[in-house]
Amino acid sequence: MLLEARGIVKAFGSFRAVDGADFHLAEGEIVGLIGPNGAGKSTFFNCLAGELQPTSGRILFRGRDITRAPPEAHARLGLARTWQVPAVFEEMTVRENVMVGAFLRHGHRQEAMRRADEMLAFTGLSPLAASRAGSLGTPARKRLEIARALATEPELLLLDEALAGLTPAEVQAAIELVRRIHARGITLVIVEHVMEVILTLAQRAVVFHQGRVIAEGAPRAVVEDPAVIEAYLGHSLRRRSARA
Amino acid sequence: MSGGGMAMTASRGAWGRGVAVLGVLAVLALAALLPFALQDVFHQRIAALVLLAAISASAWNLIGGYAGQVSIGHAVFFGVGAYSALLGYTLFEWPPIAGAPFGILISLVFATIIGLPTFRLRGHYFSMATIAAAELVRILVVNWPLVGGAVGLMGPAVPRSTLDLSFTSPRPYYWTFLGTLTALLLVTHWMSRSRMGFYLRAIKGQERAARSLGVPVQRYKYYALLLSAGFTSLAGSLYALMVGFVDPDSGFGILISVRMVIITALGGVGTLFGPLAGAVILVPLEEWTNATFGGAGTGITYVVYGFVIMLISRFAPGGLAELWRRLQAAGRRHAA
Amino acid sequence: MILAQLVLNGLLVGAVYALFSSGLTLIWGMMNVVNFAHGDFVMLAMYVAFFAATLLGWGPAAFVPVAAMALFLLGVLVYLMLVRHVMRGPMLAQILSTFGLALVLRYAALWAFSANFVSLPEDLTGQVVTLGGLRFEPSRVLAGIAALLVTLGLHLLLTRTALGSRLLAVAEDRTAAMLVGIRPDPMQALAWGIGAACTGIAGGLIALFFYVAPSVGESLVLIAFVVVCLGGFGSVPGALVAGLAIGVIESLSAFWVGAAFKDVVVYALFLGALWFRPQGLLGKA
Repeated sequence: MLLEARGIVKAFGSFRAVDGADFHLAEGEIVGLIGPNGAGKSTFFNCLAGELQPTSGRILFRGRDITRAPPEAHARLGLARTWQVPAVFEEMTVRENVMVGAFLRHGHRQEAMRRADEMLAFTGLSPLAASRAGSLGTPARKRLEIARALATEPELLLLDEALAGLTPAEVQAAIELVRRIHARGITLVIVEHVMEVILTLAQRAVVFHQGRVIAEGAPRAVVEDPAVIEAYLGHSLRRRSARA
Repeated sequence: MSGGGMAMTASRGAWGRGVAVLGVLAVLALAALLPFALQDVFHQRIAALVLLAAISASAWNLIGGYAGQVSIGHAVFFGVGAYSALLGYTLFEWPPIAGAPFGILISLVFATIIGLPTFRLRGHYFSMATIAAAELVRILVVNWPLVGGAVGLMGPAVPRSTLDLSFTSPRPYYWTFLGTLTALLLVTHWMSRSRMGFYLRAIKGQERAARSLGVPVQRYKYYALLLSAGFTSLAGSLYALMVGFVDPDSGFGILISVRMVIITALGGVGTLFGPLAGAVILVPLEEWTNATFGGAGTGITYVVYGFVIMLISRFAPGGLAELWRRLQAAGRRHAA
Repeated sequence: MILAQLVLNGLLVGAVYALFSSGLTLIWGMMNVVNFAHGDFVMLAMYVAFFAATLLGWGPAAFVPVAAMALFLLGVLVYLMLVRHVMRGPMLAQILSTFGLALVLRYAALWAFSANFVSLPEDLTGQVVTLGGLRFEPSRVLAGIAALLVTLGLHLLLTRTALGSRLLAVAEDRTAAMLVGIRPDPMQALAWGIGAACTGIAGGLIALFFYVAPSVGESLVLIAFVVVCLGGFGSVPGALVAGLAIGVIESLSAFWVGAAFKDVVVYALFLGALWFRPQGLLGKA
């Protein structure tokens, strides 16, 4: 068991964004976290990533308790994440951005640069290596986020809506990249809205609704689960009637 | 890229680096010869003061520029350096320079007291803590006769040996400062190209993202502060050497802190030569203002400084370096 | 008896500290901007009071509201012309902006008014009353009670009125506030106005019993920092409690370690609070 989360609760005041969620992840899996807006999947994701501390519950990575561990410790242990809104270092070049990630495992500049260039080649960003990160468009930024996270040589990569806002062609390229990352032996947890991505990539889907896991299993099966349909449709039905 | 192509790029890179090194050495040689070109002792003194200001500003730049943690009470380290040098002389009859290492040590302790708790909080807390620390020390010193009280401390009136480093001509000070500045800039340059430099830039850019990449944010901010505090303390000791006098205001006063900030902000925070550029502009200007307007000049100078700082913050936080970059980018767009 | 007197005086001054610190905590809590010129705002208000009293012969009932209004305008102006533009930028720009403003205000005052300490006419508020062995200086009593009332008023404004909830909504979550139709910009400008008005009232009140000089801003802003830090960032009730506490501590320190060192005690307390309880006495981390 690579990652295990038990009884995760995250409360903001009296509002429970995550209300008792369990999660398990075996090495080599690709798992998708889905659910309608406000379902708590992003909050749960950030708890796994160490960005938020759960109000209660435990998170174990390779049996090691990381519930209270800060994000820096997560990265060192081999848990990397990307950001929904890409948080690239605007003033640094693409290569330098990735080097920041590489420096985690390689203290020397030359070695870090070599590893960074490897990641740039792997993600197809080599032509942009010397460009200022601030000049990049969204698809390139998302790719840079991934390259940078990969440079920390993680065992587990958490992708936060890495494929949102991309054109169909870009989505295909991104799916292919994720497949190649998986082929290198990296376990993946993907939060996504774009259902097609989950159906194509994920081996297992976990559905969040109102802070809890309401369904879990093969993506095709989960998508046809009446409870899941109700969660999504009920959601959009309620929205439609609110607008009317 | 083909093997041959990469070899060519590599050798072009090495050649470019060689040219840069030669360029730097040439500038350094010219700088060393400057005191001979300046006949007037007055001008030589200003040149020395420019370099001294550049040293403190470059030291501030390490924490304020590269790490993006704005200290507005850096005089606390400067004052410790100046006082340590002259205390060594006053209390134990040491040559003033012998007090400098103690100043650095004490500054590192102060840096720990100020930085360690505040670096895990939002940035404002660090800035507030620096003013509080500087004021706290200043008031203590004013009321402590052992360290000179409100009157201050003086260095050797007559040099007892060369070790006292008490020269009549500004030239030896100029060369000492030039050497120190060169060393500091070399350290800064080396640091900025190392992991620490990358981590600091990442922290300055997107602290959250840096953390998620494993950057130990607090630790590196602290390292930057230690480095900065040490060099600022050294600058203070050098100041005491040249001027031969320090009192609570000239050591720990807010104006000392302000000068470091505005010199660096004007030239360009986080750039290697920004502080030097700022010093070259502001120090002669300040001397001229003082000479022309006398005491009244001080008030007006700092009103102007305040305005300049506001303008920089509003329109060009990167200072002249940023304006220069914008000009270059605009030029390129015109050419295209 | 001396102890009681010290505590009394401390509470009265502390209430004034609480008042202008509330202004700082409101601004900081709302838009994560620290006003390094906050002490100099108080200083300006003190000069408004001084000139109104000596040149126009006004009493506090007149010059305190005037100072409040003048500073309100200054606060809004500072927001519109400066803060609004640096708010979302790098931390360096934010800190430099109000720090530069502090320098301008302080040294312009130095240049215009010279460094001399001046004070308001003695008899503005009547004679000292002695009650139960305690001296009640009318200027301090007036200042303390007025400050307490205004601070409580501010708290009520924020928590009980529609306007207050709009301000708090923007403070809590700017984007969410926009989504429910609250425009953040006017709210933030208003916050600066109110925060500055607090310094205006506080300055007018302090001038009743304290000397006026361009340099007072430097120590007042540090007091505001300590109060806000101890009281919890963004909390007006916290600022009230902490302000009173700091007033008392300062008063006791002046007696025990001497007037010269009373500031040192407060600043050391600040550094200590950063070490051991940065979330403040009442706040959450």
